[in-house]
Amino acid sequence: MQARLIFLPLAGIAIAGGPAYASVYLSVEQAQAILFPGATFQQDSRTLTDEQVKAIEHASGVHVLTRQLKVWRASTGGWFIVDEVVGKHEYIPFALALDERGAVKGIEILEYREAYGGQIRDPEWQKQFLGKDAGTKLQLERNVRNISGATLSCKHITDGIERLLTTYELVLRQPSH
Amino acid sequence: MLRQNHALFDVISRLLTGNNGRRILGLAICALSLFALAPSLACADEPLFGFSYTTDLLPKGKFELEQWSTTRFHKNPGGKFWLQENRTEEEYGFKDNLQLALYQTYDSTSAYHNGPFGATTPPEQFSYYNPGPNDRFQATRFIGVSGEAIYRIWSPYIHRVGFAVYEEPTFGAGFIESESKLIFQKNYRDDRLVLAANLTYAPEWRRLADPTTRKVGIQEETDANIDLAASYRFMRNWSAAFEIFNEREFNSYYFTHESNSGYYLGPTVHYGGRNFFVTANFDEQMPWASRHVDTVPGGIVGGRIVDNDFEQYRVRVKFGWYF
Repeated sequence: MQARLIFLPLAGIAIAGGPAYASVYLSVEQAQAILFPGATFQQDSRTLTDEQVKAIEHASGVHVLTRQLKVWRASTGGWFIVDEVVGKHEYIPFALALDERGAVKGIEILEYREAYGGQIRDPEWQKQFLGKDAGTKLQLERNVRNISGATLSCKHITDGIERLLTTYELVLRQPSH
Repeated sequence: MLRQNHALFDVISRLLTGNNGRRILGLAICALSLFALAPSLACADEPLFGFSYTTDLLPKGKFELEQWSTTRFHKNPGGKFWLQENRTEEEYGFKDNLQLALYQTYDSTSAYHNGPFGATTPPEQFSYYNPGPNDRFQATRFIGVSGEAIYRIWSPYIHRVGFAVYEEPTFGAGFIESESKLIFQKNYRDDRLVLAANLTYAPEWRRLADPTTRKVGIQEETDANIDLAASYRFMRNWSAAFEIFNEREFNSYYFTHESNSGYYLGPTVHYGGRNFFVTANFDEQMPWASRHVDTVPGGIVGGRIVDNDFEQYRVRVKFGWYF
């Protein structure tokens, strides 16, 4: 083989490779304390049936990623849900607090592992979801403001909240078996 | 590390030029090599494809450094051909919907009995040289400096279809090229399934000396390509893609005097994370070529074009780092 300028990228990989890391902002317990100050929690997790998945996807227009619902009831009234949405490369775990009526009480991003789009943690951006319930169809750039440079994360968090509001309406709000 | 990579690639290229079983084994080694290297890499991001572009751009104010390596090899059976293209690129998000880039290209090649009728034929970037038909040709050359601008008009995350326009002028010694693209993107399944289509129009002006008369003139040529690609993120950070291209050449600027039309297809693997990406692509020219009005006699062998801008196999690896 003649001398060639070969596989420079792989040499670059060897030089540049470094440890992966993620920004963990809040644990589940910390998010619970922020979203429901002073409350205690009772876990009420569920597994969605095929019919429930279909109904949620049909009503929300959003794909259900997992059948496992991580849900807690707050002693002060309301629901605390931990879920995740697809990010650019990883999943974005987040917590959603709903009041007794099923309206958004607060959002917390638990972890963010992407290069860009971390602006979704901005409380001003999150504020626009407060009070929204399953009666409002959430859609980016229609009734949810986009953040330039964080479009994918904004879209998927919006879709994730829409999906959980629908899940509340179709599953959590109904009396459990 | 360079020596290890050279040896690895030597083994892979031997496997790929063998029979079908060895080819499949070669592809598997390509994929496994990438997976084996990946855990030490850490983080990453786009591009999802080896050759096709999407409408995803850097956010405003962000920088990215990319290194591309494209190896093109094998033409005529019995001959030898190798072209190593290298590209070092700096990208910048000028606005959220406008990305600018500057890059340099530097290539090296080796050719022997590789072209039409088994004559030694340098690749297009080295067409300034006129080796004899039985010469062993080897050269390394700085090809040129390119600028690149991609302007996104519709985002696939907001609109039904993503759409962007692309312009890339290249300036080299005795060579100017203007490459324009229309880029389309459609996403499904929470944006994990990405479909892309590119239409490319790239006229070239190249000052060449006629090999017999030695008279210098301008060679008119246009590349017109259609790329179709699909990528699916099958697990965290990892995407697998498939690309198919039709690359056409015309000896004019107006789609007349068509000389070549080659079809390539192949897989791409992409690892993307927080600060880093790597993308590896392999393509093979399909035996679907047919003669056109300006096709060079002897330019099609076994249904594949062996003229100076086409090869049977190519491997592209892109590595990028965000700032």
